[in-house]
Amino acid sequence: MAKKRDGENERKPQAEKAVSRRDFVKTGAAAGVGAAVLSTSGTALAQVSPVEAIQWHYEADIVVIGGGCTGLPAAIRARDLGASVIVVDQNFDLGGKMLHSGGWVSLGGGDPLQKRDIAGEGDREGFVTAPRLQSVAELSEDPDFLFRDHTDWSVMDAAAQAPYRYNERDLHRAYADNCYATREFLMANYVRFGRITGTHGNGGMSRARRATTFLMEGSTTDIKKGTVSRRDAGVARVSSSHFAPRVMADGAKVASAGARTNGAALSRGLEFSAREKGVRFLLNRHMDEIIREQQFSGRVVGIRASYSPRFDPQTGAQLESLWQNGNVDDRTETIFIRARKAIVIGAGGHGANPQFRSMFYPAWREPAFVSSGWALLGPRGQDASGIIAGMRIGANLAGMQQNLGYDSTFHFPGVLATRDPYTDMLPGHPTFSMRGSTGIALGSDSFQHLIVVNQVGKRFFNELLVTRRQGGAWFPAGPEKGQPKRGLEHVQLDWRNASVENIRATYAEPNSIHAALAMNEGSKAPDFLSGPIWAIFDRAAVERDKWNIDPPFTSPTNGFFFSADTIAELAAKILAGHEFQRVPLTYLADTVARWNTYADKGSDPEFGRGSDAPMYRIEKPPFYAATLYPVWHDSYGGLRINGRAQVIDMQGEPIPGLYAGGEASGGGQQHGLGRALVHGYIAGTNAAAEPTT
Amino acid sequence: METSTPTAAVTSHATSVVVWDVPSAIVAGERFRITVGIKCSDECHLPNTDFGIYDDEGAQVATGTLSDERWPGTTGLYVAEVELDAPAGEGLHIWSVKGPSTALGAGPLTGLGTDSGSDTGIPHAEGSTRFGVRVVSPPECLVRVEAVDQITQTPISGARVVMHPYKAVSDERGVAEVRVAKGAYTLFVSQTGYLTFRLPVEVDADMTARAELSPEPVPERN
Repeated sequence: MAKKRDGENERKPQAEKAVSRRDFVKTGAAAGVGAAVLSTSGTALAQVSPVEAIQWHYEADIVVIGGGCTGLPAAIRARDLGASVIVVDQNFDLGGKMLHSGGWVSLGGGDPLQKRDIAGEGDREGFVTAPRLQSVAELSEDPDFLFRDHTDWSVMDAAAQAPYRYNERDLHRAYADNCYATREFLMANYVRFGRITGTHGNGGMSRARRATTFLMEGSTTDIKKGTVSRRDAGVARVSSSHFAPRVMADGAKVASAGARTNGAALSRGLEFSAREKGVRFLLNRHMDEIIREQQFSGRVVGIRASYSPRFDPQTGAQLESLWQNGNVDDRTETIFIRARKAIVIGAGGHGANPQFRSMFYPAWREPAFVSSGWALLGPRGQDASGIIAGMRIGANLAGMQQNLGYDSTFHFPGVLATRDPYTDMLPGHPTFSMRGSTGIALGSDSFQHLIVVNQVGKRFFNELLVTRRQGGAWFPAGPEKGQPKRGLEHVQLDWRNASVENIRATYAEPNSIHAALAMNEGSKAPDFLSGPIWAIFDRAAVERDKWNIDPPFTSPTNGFFFSADTIAELAAKILAGHEFQRVPLTYLADTVARWNTYADKGSDPEFGRGSDAPMYRIEKPPFYAATLYPVWHDSYGGLRINGRAQVIDMQGEPIPGLYAGGEASGGGQQHGLGRALVHGYIAGTNAAAEPTT
Repeated sequence: METSTPTAAVTSHATSVVVWDVPSAIVAGERFRITVGIKCSDECHLPNTDFGIYDDEGAQVATGTLSDERWPGTTGLYVAEVELDAPAGEGLHIWSVKGPSTALGAGPLTGLGTDSGSDTGIPHAEGSTRFGVRVVSPPECLVRVEAVDQITQTPISGARVVMHPYKAVSDERGVAEVRVAKGAYTLFVSQTGYLTFRLPVEVDADMTARAELSPEPVPERN
């Protein structure tokens, strides 16, 4: 269990602290608290294992670290090419972040899906009957065109970032050349795509390239037939399932009536195929070290991995994967796995590692804030372990500034009362108890009904702007996204895209997240953590804007939602009940009183509220406090890889036998699944062709 | 070295006062109602407890008595509705509520709560809070606002219409009527699921405004 920092322990009576700690254990919040601590330490910091002394427990041609959207395609592809494959994953189930994603896969360059939509054709199974959503011109391109789009120096977004300029050229040439084969490969492995609509974050300015994945709602879940039961697909605002941690969306517009879309369709399809093809899985198995012949020379020969089971905090039951075939249930604390040909790192990014991510932004050393899918992935997910293990054997890094070039790398999803605000998981998935609440999802307009305060109870920004973010320079873009031309009118590599005049005319970044993460009176040396952020509102707000503040959207026990008869009581409850509230909210009562005087006057001299939306007093009991947590969603910056997905060392040479992709790799600013899936496909292809040792 | 002071045998319980439902605009001389709640820090039962309401000069303008019922959703808030006369002068007046009021002759209050068990015979310290009373001149103009969905062009009922400090709510036809004094306003129309409509208006006679609200986009999760 994490301890409060900054000497905060001295501030509270011992008995009071003990009660608070017991409550957290009892309610399961401890599971979340542990995340920050485990992910900041522990990984790959032990001594280097001497190769000749190792007793290997398992061996395979290819060892894949991480069963997500890099690892699964890599494993399947290598298996298709005749290699034996073992996948280790620190979690109890497969899919990584892909499982809770929207399932949107942006490829392009004239991929088979673009061609299908151009021809106005449906899919082989007859599920896709919706008309195409983009014009022929918007779908027509070739790999050269895609490559130029992904390396265009001139594009600036509305936050004045250049999302394509710094992409590794060799990597993106290979990406463009492999999109066709990757889309075909996915479709051959139980992945069903709907119509193309738009393009994914930083997936290029000029063409439509993105489609989501679906299954058809049916009486049973049958991956071969392409069906998912209603229970597995989930019921909106009621229940998720083990199959799909987020309720699958309606896919009528992109496929046909009855289609249900999101990352579960992609992830479970790939998982099903991998299991069917004989990939072996060691789940609950965290890679701690990649072993090379010598630390900085020779081939990689295997990995050391430790047992990392997860347990339900309420029942104590060990969590198990949805499907079991292909699983190797080995509970030995430490094992060594030999890779005869190659190792593929698909271990994900660093979004949940406060020490690692603070390289980019010191404010993110705050352990309270987690990466998206924190409950799903557990305390070891997105812990940078793949990157750190590569660094230990001489790997170089790439794209380390690119975390700052995408507007959802870290942001406020606008979801109150949960630690995991990016995902809207409902009860039904085995990890729901880790988070305890789904959260109250609010559009930015609804923020007119509340105020947002920092850990000492002071406002810091216009609440209507707190969750806004700006960026978005990808098809069809346009001036509101930073670019002078929209859609097909965009001109690649045109200096006018980056002119000072254009940037002045289109800059629209509110920068509110930086105000939220700033130091305040409660921040203490040496880390000067900003602390939690609270939305404060009253009963009248709940009634006016019709918020559902009942479980499962909030939890009375997880420490992320409080109600009280008075503001002073509310402040006291937050301090006693929220793990990361290290200081009293000294100013909260004054802040609310002052806010009410502003509401009486209809204007807010501090942060400019009043001209943009009505202001309401916070006055009618009970009063509520709910966390407004930012999330580090996906991460950029990681191991440098070349176009063959080989990890590159400090001398610019490939580390023999070592491959990586997705968020464990750097040099690619493209958001989402497309990048990782292509990396996985390339890595699997080349790893299988390595000599056997 | 400090010597410790002997602890008093009886200490008073702290109390908090909350005020809500104050109308945002009150016409000079008219009567209006507010709701007052008082809470003991020990969650004592506080029935028939008296409190006073005081104007900007500190003069008592009304008294009230808490009801026997605890306010829903709270652990120990007892409330009363009070009717008040608006002051004559236009503008924002800052009034206050103080209570429990021992000066009114109620004597030390005894807590009857069974959950705390420690409060029998313990007096309650007076709490207080301030609230704004905005007094306006009688409105001369009628602003009729029609709230409709921009896409479907269907009426939006229950929309909140705000022309600070005047407020109204649209009926089932999507129509709200706001009576305002002549002057410059920002007309806001908002409803759950829509982006707030905003229009600067100069009112010098009766007028009608059509507010087309666009649905709030659902954020996409990639």
